[in-house]
Amino acid sequence: MSKRKPIKFTAFLWHRRIGLAALVLVIILAITGIMLNHTEQFKLDESYVDNHLLLNWYGIEPDDDPVSYQVNKDEEKHTISAWNYQLFFDDVAITHLEQNMHGAIGAEQFIVVALENAIILLSYDGEFIERISTSLSFNNIQRLGMKYKRPVIETSKPLYYMADEHILDWDVTINEGIDWAEQHKLSDIDRDKLLIAYRGNGLKLERVILDLHSGRIFGNYGIYLMDAAAIALLWLSLSGLWVWSSRRSKMRKKKHYQKHHRD
Amino acid sequence: MKRLLTIITLLSSLLLTSVLLAGGVYQEPDDFIKQVFDGKPPKAEVLWLNKNLKKQIESILNHRYKGLRIRYWQHNDDNNHKSVWVLNEIGKEKLITTGIVINNQQIEQIKVLVFRESRGWEVRHDFFTEQFKQIKLKDNQRLDKTIDNISGATLSVRAVRKMAQIALLLDQNIRVKKSADSKQNANSKTN
Repeated sequence: MSKRKPIKFTAFLWHRRIGLAALVLVIILAITGIMLNHTEQFKLDESYVDNHLLLNWYGIEPDDDPVSYQVNKDEEKHTISAWNYQLFFDDVAITHLEQNMHGAIGAEQFIVVALENAIILLSYDGEFIERISTSLSFNNIQRLGMKYKRPVIETSKPLYYMADEHILDWDVTINEGIDWAEQHKLSDIDRDKLLIAYRGNGLKLERVILDLHSGRIFGNYGIYLMDAAAIALLWLSLSGLWVWSSRRSKMRKKKHYQKHHRD
Repeated sequence: MKRLLTIITLLSSLLLTSVLLAGGVYQEPDDFIKQVFDGKPPKAEVLWLNKNLKKQIESILNHRYKGLRIRYWQHNDDNNHKSVWVLNEIGKEKLITTGIVINNQQIEQIKVLVFRESRGWEVRHDFFTEQFKQIKLKDNQRLDKTIDNISGATLSVRAVRKMAQIALLLDQNIRVKKSADSKQNANSKTN
């Protein structure tokens, strides 16, 4: 028959049981915690998840259809698309948009993209050149077109402005001989390619790690699971201390007995 | 009890007002440029970023810089070289737009024009921006004076400081470019 006191035995037993049960969750908590403490070094806020299972789990799928324009220069053809506030050059994500796109044209030197109150310039290699915020008298862009190979915009008033060749200044012009940009419908294949590109920039690794740390990745009850892991960790520290101190006193008693009762 | 209710109402309305006034457009960038040049802004010019300059900007920002050219406005006379830059940098999640005036390689004025973040808007206040006055760039591309932090607005402070560094760096570059151009012009005239 065991001489161990029931209370000590119970503490030790539960220390082991809870330790084993919380093992995985505590490992997740610890690793994700370290990663979040070093977000910049691990570049978590710059890395994107491209795993289909995870993207589906998060339901990353734009609600509406992409808005696309085709731009030409000589024999080069490119598609400029805006989808859920993301700008794409063909199927490459370029930048985040804060406004809707109202047209894209291929001017002599640059590709010009018109937003509501801003113009974005891209090179024909898809490099982002500049974002130009338009002035107070020059907002609410409705349409973008081309006249003498230069971009022309129509405002809501409506007024018409034509840019110089370097797209630094805009002068008032008349609504004559302007070739307005028209929306382009993407084929199913191009739409799928764009969806892959969109999803590639849809979910930051930082968010996944944060959700894993908080437990939200496991759904509405995930946070309670992680709360349980934290409570388990607390229990492990206290019960560990309890087991250690009871063993220590036991060992002391044993040493004392051996020292004084050898005979 | 009535007094307590009045105090609570007053405090909460004050808090609400401060939150509502916090972020937003403080001044349109175009208006800032007009104001700096007394209503007669010069034509905008652009500085194309070469690999080296882009690398320097990225080392200040500590992240990739998107863009191949930056526009600026400048005024030159014999004793005065003034350039104005409107730069954007992310504080925590959203862009902060800042207007910076450089006069003879020193910051003359810095102003937060648009603040889109939900926190850290204290950087718009004069007590913070006044610190940048007369600041220069050292050889290691750091500012020659320390900028005091604002607790709770560390990331916004960092973003504004980075923009100040970049504006000074860009101003240096247009000065170098200008002196190289004028030397070239002088040489071509002599020949």
